[in-house]
Amino acid sequence: MEMDLLIPALLTGIFCYLGAIESACLFGMSGGFYIVGRPLVAGLLVGVAFGDVQAGILCGLAVQGVFIANLSTGGATNSEITYAAYGGIGLAMATSKDPAIAVTLSILIGQTFGLIFYNTRMALYSFWNRRADIAAEQNDLAGIRMNHLVGPQITNFLLRAIPIFLVIFFGKDLVDWLLQNIPQVVTDTISVLGGVLPALGIAMLMNIVIKEKSLFIFFFAGFVLTAFAGLSMIALVFIAALVAYLVFLATKPGLALVAESANQNTSEDVIFEDDYLF
Amino acid sequence: MSQTKERLTKKELRQIWARWGFTHLSSMSYEKLQAHAWAYSYIPFAKKYYSDDPEAMRRLLVRQSMFYNTEPQTGQIINGIVASLEEEIAMGGDVPEEMPINIKATLMGPLAGIGDSIIQGIIVPILLSIGMGLASGGSVVGPLFYIVSYALIGPTISYLCFHNGYKLGINAIDVIIGENAKRITDAFNILGVMVVGGLAAGNVALTTKLEIPMGDELSSLQALFDSNFPKILPLIMVLLSWWMISKKRMSATKIIIVLTVISAVGVVLGVF
Repeated sequence: MEMDLLIPALLTGIFCYLGAIESACLFGMSGGFYIVGRPLVAGLLVGVAFGDVQAGILCGLAVQGVFIANLSTGGATNSEITYAAYGGIGLAMATSKDPAIAVTLSILIGQTFGLIFYNTRMALYSFWNRRADIAAEQNDLAGIRMNHLVGPQITNFLLRAIPIFLVIFFGKDLVDWLLQNIPQVVTDTISVLGGVLPALGIAMLMNIVIKEKSLFIFFFAGFVLTAFAGLSMIALVFIAALVAYLVFLATKPGLALVAESANQNTSEDVIFEDDYLF
Repeated sequence: MSQTKERLTKKELRQIWARWGFTHLSSMSYEKLQAHAWAYSYIPFAKKYYSDDPEAMRRLLVRQSMFYNTEPQTGQIINGIVASLEEEIAMGGDVPEEMPINIKATLMGPLAGIGDSIIQGIIVPILLSIGMGLASGGSVVGPLFYIVSYALIGPTISYLCFHNGYKLGINAIDVIIGENAKRITDAFNILGVMVVGGLAAGNVALTTKLEIPMGDELSSLQALFDSNFPKILPLIMVLLSWWMISKKRMSATKIIIVLTVISAVGVVLGVF
């Protein structure tokens, strides 16, 4: 409980609020959830807060790998990425600065404490909604502002910044103790789970994009290009764009008709092409 | 009353866009999700057109407080369409007041689908993959690249969607769910499916420690996988999770528990 932990813990708590999905400060999800909320960015920010940018980024990089396919659809999510990122990376930076520890703590926090807090808040916020409904009924414009923006943002701040601050400020000793006493089986399980967890996010993405079974062939094509041919993400995107464009062309309505009329209209081109061939 | 019946200025339009852009999830609950961000973004509008007609203002605020949920950045196209409709209603045009409600209810589903697959399925994972590559070794270039690139892309998508939605008005529906739009979204969807396939190969890690007898010696099963079907175990985990979600309709939390049990059992038995 040293005092030099006070400022970094406080800053990490504030970052956790700014990066939360319901934060309104940084152009909604655009700057919040999708930028400050990502563990890669969290690593940088927590690194700055703790005065060790490189260690922070390395922790962020490791945690981001686990949460790359984090997904939020219709309010449902597979892990609370912001609590996970700031709690896990912050605690790791307060203790050993070891990326593997950051990953373990992030998974523990994101899948338990984080999801419980998130789901509870999502249920309780009907309170603000009901008040905003009443304000709309009564033409109370200030009431809408109060119950949609001001009040909820204050409670969001408290629900994000305070737990993360407390966890980092007081959790340090607990983590030190845990790391020394936790059985090997548990740490091994968490590290295996860290590798497997992205499968859930990817499966949730599949559930959105794979609308019919025939699309599985494109999924396997992407898989094989990466796993067998070892393509990078950028290379895969270009090939996928080509395939998508071909599909776009192939689904043109009345395609056969167009091809026919093209043949009739461009007989000169055909002759030219033949000349060129021979 | 007639002197207030001017169209929305550019500044007022930008205000509607920004109010939604900043606060879309501010008061989100499972019950209403993004509902009240609409009422909030129409506060200046209500003051402009309905300050002398409390009954019409009340109807506006109530119809803009209904359950709503979509991908909030690409979804700005709906906000643009609705802004053009609300403007017509306020100017006394022949748009019925149920129209904005119907448009929101009809379009939010399709746009959530296409928006989530473009933003969460394609753009964010690709930028993150590039950023993670640049960040290896602890370089600040990686996170900075991601911050700058998404800070440009996200708000740009949001801005273009809103203004095109407003410009096209009701005609935008054709752009979103018409025949031609379906071809474009289908093609984007295929791009998304292939990227997700790549994510499955590149971002799930699972290897086995098992050894199998090969002739007289024990050899590593993982080496056999690597030479014949690399990443087969991650693929199995992904397909298993997909099966649990889409066929068994299991919640994310339940699947997390299943994956945890599989990992724990595997570790105890010495498989992983």
